[in-house]
Amino acid sequence: MKLEKELNDMVTACAQCFYCRVCPAFQTLKWESVSPRGRVYMLKGLLKKKIKLEPQLVEDFYKCTTCGACEEQCQTALKLVELWEAARHEFVKEGLAPLAVHKKLRELAQKTDNPYGEPKEKREEWIKGYKYEDKAEIMYFAGCTGSFRAVELAKNTVDLFNKAGLKFAYAGKDEYCCGSPFLRTGQRDLAYELFKKNYNEWKKRGVKTIVSSCAGCYRTILIDYPKIAKELGLEWNFEVMHTSQLVNKLIKEGKITPQKLTAKVTYHDPCHLGRHTKVYEEPREVIKAIGAELVEMERNRGESFCCGSGGGVKSQFKDLAGAIGKNRIEEAKETGAEYLISCCPFCKYHLKQMAEEQGIPIKVVDLVEVVNNLAVKGEYKGNDIRCA
Amino acid sequence: MAEEVKEIPKSEWALQRYLYTRDISSAPVINLLLKQVDVIYQPRDEKEVIEVLRIAEKEGATVVPRGAGTSGYGGVLPPKDIALFRLSKRKTIMIDFTRMDNFEIDEEKQIVACSPGAVWWDIEKELNKKDLTLRVYPTSAPSSTVAGWIAQNGYGVGSLKYGGIADNVEKIRVVDFNGVREIEGKDLKYYVGMEGITGLITKAWVKVKEMEDMKYYGFHVSAKEANKIVFAGEHYAGLFLDAGYVKLKNEAFGTEMPEKDVLMIATTEKLDGDESLGEEIWEKRFYPMRVRRLGPGLVAAENVLPAESIPAYLNRLNKMIKKPHGSEIWYSKGKKGAVLTFIPSDERKFIGYTMTWLNSIRALKTAKRMRGVPYSTGFYLSSEAKLLLGSDYAELREFKRQVDPKNQLNPGKVFPTGALPLAMRIAQKVIP
Repeated sequence: MKLEKELNDMVTACAQCFYCRVCPAFQTLKWESVSPRGRVYMLKGLLKKKIKLEPQLVEDFYKCTTCGACEEQCQTALKLVELWEAARHEFVKEGLAPLAVHKKLRELAQKTDNPYGEPKEKREEWIKGYKYEDKAEIMYFAGCTGSFRAVELAKNTVDLFNKAGLKFAYAGKDEYCCGSPFLRTGQRDLAYELFKKNYNEWKKRGVKTIVSSCAGCYRTILIDYPKIAKELGLEWNFEVMHTSQLVNKLIKEGKITPQKLTAKVTYHDPCHLGRHTKVYEEPREVIKAIGAELVEMERNRGESFCCGSGGGVKSQFKDLAGAIGKNRIEEAKETGAEYLISCCPFCKYHLKQMAEEQGIPIKVVDLVEVVNNLAVKGEYKGNDIRCA
Repeated sequence: MAEEVKEIPKSEWALQRYLYTRDISSAPVINLLLKQVDVIYQPRDEKEVIEVLRIAEKEGATVVPRGAGTSGYGGVLPPKDIALFRLSKRKTIMIDFTRMDNFEIDEEKQIVACSPGAVWWDIEKELNKKDLTLRVYPTSAPSSTVAGWIAQNGYGVGSLKYGGIADNVEKIRVVDFNGVREIEGKDLKYYVGMEGITGLITKAWVKVKEMEDMKYYGFHVSAKEANKIVFAGEHYAGLFLDAGYVKLKNEAFGTEMPEKDVLMIATTEKLDGDESLGEEIWEKRFYPMRVRRLGPGLVAAENVLPAESIPAYLNRLNKMIKKPHGSEIWYSKGKKGAVLTFIPSDERKFIGYTMTWLNSIRALKTAKRMRGVPYSTGFYLSSEAKLLLGSDYAELREFKRQVDPKNQLNPGKVFPTGALPLAMRIAQKVIP
């Protein structure tokens, strides 16, 4: 196995100090083989040919949500998420990855342009009844989860945009998976193909700003897409925003004036929005703007604990994802909050499921849902979607 | 009983054994003297630790205890087991205390009762909620464990006022092949700093204190001047960075601190120093190894010297070490300082790295000439046990023979056995 010089340097620079023990997978499973420093040491062993690349090693290497908690604590400031993804890509090249479920997602995406395997025509169904453009400077990127699984998030987002009088475009069935599930699991080739499709569509429609309500899509388009564009020799001049940032801006500009939410809430920083892209304050500013009492969980912002569903873990290792999610939902419960607000459909879906399984009566919602519902009725009851 | 044993989390997977056979050191050549552990157990309570010892006794296996593996003296590494000039076939069991990480705070007595795998900074966070704080902790506090630091008799943050961890442990509970013991007072010396060779710590009662309004001051002074400031009052902690180390830190952190000698004092007293400089150094106290990026890789030397010898020691190192290097010093009670010297060196270049590594032996020789001692023995420096243990050496060695006659508890540590101590002594004579 080989790694680029910068990554090889990283492997050598690791101090093995174990500040990365905050890793949710290690905290759950307790073995070095699933710890970040253990993974670095594995790579060191592979590079020095002291150990062999074997399926069980690869499997444990994938027990990582790529949440970046390790990177936040790293004594030697290593870009560990980049290292994990590069190593996974090498495992794919060596034929020991993708793992079974990740491979299945690939097959589905190759056929349908989304990892859920839903028909392409179905992608735009959710937007019926809302006003949008074919071409505009702002493009709303609903993402696969927003389009097929968490449609309430996509609906609430565009409903809020309509109320704010925001002119935006939506690509409908010509929107493609952003490629995040494949970048995280080492299947770069497919992610590159999906990039090209989205990129061409945005160029064709004269897009200047891309807005995503999914933290995973946002991270991918903000961080990975410019790198891919550079590799492919393409110009990259898009502004990328997460809806929480746009909503915060719209509130500050007085284009949305939501009513007050008189409740105690806590906020879960999605890893892709927080640690990966450093969007910590805008969602909190929105929560403050709606007048809710924000009670922080003990681990927040850069130290936030992952929900457990990212990096291909929920699809491949359900028990691990569940254990991590339960840990986080318990932490939310300890705040005494009525609502657990997040800004990622993946986090929301997973944490909601964990709350239900644990019998914890906290309402898990997305920030946009809350703001939109307050903008409609002046109150929020938490469970129903009140769109126009 | 056999069914109970199965329940203790364990792994015999080759990769896991490879991953557990290491600490933070990366010593060239010496690793030829090491073997891999055969099985790793992760007991969840003292009962399970006893059970693993029972297995070891039955199988005639050696036992290596492990906290977080964050030391660099080889204390958690299993040396090849040499008996009567041949390799013995004794199995090696590692006991990883990761799952025994709980602790209980007694606010009234200002004591925290810790399981061996409890992590210092986890404890500190909980103490702070009750307006309490640790008296001393290691600079690896975000990951290192209570029993690990006790077993190494560490010095660190707070040692200037409160001494080493030995001075801050009220009582410990240990298990060996004969059962469980609770140890306090002068008997603690049989276990503190003994790397688990006389028994495995399963609980420790650590003294804590009320939180105080601490201030951090920076002073651009020489090591000689630093001694005067450090020992002039009842300060909590003192950290000196020499100019070489500040330069390395700037490079590694991307900061622009003035590249000259600097002292940081953490104290409740009001001092005439630079608070923002002091705070900057304090905030980075857990990141001494950031400079490892520069190698990539690092050769380190750590010796404890009388404070009055430190300026001359640093001068000598500066003349002796040709590569970019630097030192940091944590001062401790009794007018001493633990001098940690860093030399970034590319670990992948065998010859260059090995040659650089010889500097740690040179630093040790120099320290010894100046009445210094190594920070710890572990595996690598068991040759220095007499120096480190002083007048207790013979008594402690006899105690080890009594409690562990078959030398099953972490063999090869603290007391010199095998080829390495001899090699280290020869190296000290031969290396100029």
